[in-house]
Amino acid sequence: MAYRSDESSLLIVVLDTNPVWWGQQLSKPNRDLTFTNCIEELLVFCNSHLMMDQRNKLCVIAAHPSKNKFLFPKSELADETASDDSEIMRQTKSDGQYELFAKVSETIREEVKDLIFSDTSGELHADCMLSGAMSMALCYINRVEKEQLNKESFSSRILVIKGSEDHQSQYMNFMMVIFTAQKQNTIIDACILDQESSLLQQACDITNGIYLKIPQLSGLLQYLLCVFLPDAKIRKKMTLPTNVKIDYRAACFCHRNLVDIGYVCSVCLSS
Amino acid sequence: MIDEAEPGYRWEAEYEKTWELLQEDEAGSLQASVDEIVQKAKRKRLLDRPINVKLGIMRHLCVVIDMSDAMNDKDLRPNRQLATLKLLEKFVEEFFDQNPISQLGLYIMKNKRCEMITELGGNIKRHTTSLASLRTMQCQGEASLQNAMEMASQNLRHVPGHASREILIIFGSLSTCDPGNIMETAKAIKSQNVRCSIIGLAAGVYVCQKICQETQGKYNVILDESHFKDLLTEQTSPPPAVGVTESSLIRMGFPQHETTAGIGKSSMCMCHIDSKDSSQGFGKNGYFCPQCWSKYCELPVECVVCGLTLVSAPHLARSYHHLFPLQPFAEIPTADIYRPNRLCYSCQKHLSEVHAYKCGQCSHVFCIDCDVFIHEIHHCCPGCASKRTPQL
Repeated sequence: MAYRSDESSLLIVVLDTNPVWWGQQLSKPNRDLTFTNCIEELLVFCNSHLMMDQRNKLCVIAAHPSKNKFLFPKSELADETASDDSEIMRQTKSDGQYELFAKVSETIREEVKDLIFSDTSGELHADCMLSGAMSMALCYINRVEKEQLNKESFSSRILVIKGSEDHQSQYMNFMMVIFTAQKQNTIIDACILDQESSLLQQACDITNGIYLKIPQLSGLLQYLLCVFLPDAKIRKKMTLPTNVKIDYRAACFCHRNLVDIGYVCSVCLSS
Repeated sequence: MIDEAEPGYRWEAEYEKTWELLQEDEAGSLQASVDEIVQKAKRKRLLDRPINVKLGIMRHLCVVIDMSDAMNDKDLRPNRQLATLKLLEKFVEEFFDQNPISQLGLYIMKNKRCEMITELGGNIKRHTTSLASLRTMQCQGEASLQNAMEMASQNLRHVPGHASREILIIFGSLSTCDPGNIMETAKAIKSQNVRCSIIGLAAGVYVCQKICQETQGKYNVILDESHFKDLLTEQTSPPPAVGVTESSLIRMGFPQHETTAGIGKSSMCMCHIDSKDSSQGFGKNGYFCPQCWSKYCELPVECVVCGLTLVSAPHLARSYHHLFPLQPFAEIPTADIYRPNRLCYSCQKHLSEVHAYKCGQCSHVFCIDCDVFIHEIHHCCPGCASKRTPQL
């Protein structure tokens, strides 16, 4: 099959911003990866994606323990007029950098600051609302598809960068996300920083994505650029990390143990 | 669509002034009111679903296709037979997508007899190849509803009690040629808890309506091709359970997936063991039955060696959205929303339409595109998924 170069690509990055996990990284002795470094490396990765093709699109969503927030693109209300001062300041800041890159960097940095400072609840949680963030990503893909002019085809993928652990309560929502992604032909990739996640393993296997646990956190950017940057067409020609043995066993409803052979109720399918 | 027999036919009912539903806007275009009617119809379908009713999730469905003379008629393009087969191919895919642990069987009505094309089974490829082979078959003779129902019910007799038994008949002719009293057959299949639904392609037929009423099935007559597609899609969702279905616990296995990265040895898989092409199915990849360790390429499947049904957890999860349906969102006028917040929560689009949709549980607002997407395809509200609920 010839390589069709007229397919643009939409990349959605779902970043786990759990303050507990990132705080723990700061207190580690060798400080492999701090939150600010991660944001910087993510910006380089996003700019590289936008450079791959003129029409490539980007969206970044932050998955926080108590809410999810769109970091980019920032929705501007049509009737909100920007004041003249900020408009001028924005133009002088670009200083020769490609405008789109400057916009991406600035918007993401501002929104992350906004997100962190607005979290005043003081509750500590070890997980983040990942299934909610991925649902929002899928709705965004649906919106972009509807807005496409000339019915141009585009491929979409979701990259999840996750450090905190899974929570079993999100199982059902997560499964819905996986099935919707499969229907929409969206690839889900997972870049795992710390603990293995069986939900994301299943997601990557079902949608033909890549699941990778980063061996060295300080090399995050290198892994992002080499493994997760190529889109679906180019991936076929590259040798990328293959999937490990995935556990598809169901958890029983009484003890939450994974079972090999179990009894399934014929009416409600609980096992 | 036929009304109930008792209230009378449409021409006997009140005079309906349907032209008053359409209103022109300033530019003289009817598009807005047409869109509104379409949206209302979509939402009505969502709201109509009965809640808290036991559903038949493990389904055994026999699809009976009419291959009589009437199917040569050209009122569907290119003719009824080919249009039906094309829609049925999509139906089969959608059916196994929504009900992965179910089984399907194909039958045809031709020359006053009923023939079986494929046995009840869960293999999609077998059904789609059989449907493709039906394209070249010539339609002739008359249809016989009684023979079809008897053959289908005989095959459904062996199905275990906890699964639902269904027949779907695509009926193109206006008459049926039966060897005996069809009402007795209908009573017999009702006593076996079989639910018979009929989709008519021509006009409403009284005997079809009676059969469906007796067995608690649905009888619909199509208006055009897109209506036909809608009716078939309706059949893919699990129907309410008929009669007393035993709720038993069924023993199932969850096999492990071994990949080439593992240390295991190569072996032959059980699904291709009889095929002449020896290159297929031999290798390290596959799913191993936890009871007898025989290898299979794909799930779900019934292990031929030990009889254990093998599924994977995602297959069961696929049916969860039927059991825990998402509540429809409340319609609110956009003008009521405080101005800076006039954005759809899930896609960040500026809300420009007159109506927005609000989830009852998390109180987030969504645009109409997201509302349709969430309810028809995604079945999960992003706002509720982003909210932390107290641990149950």
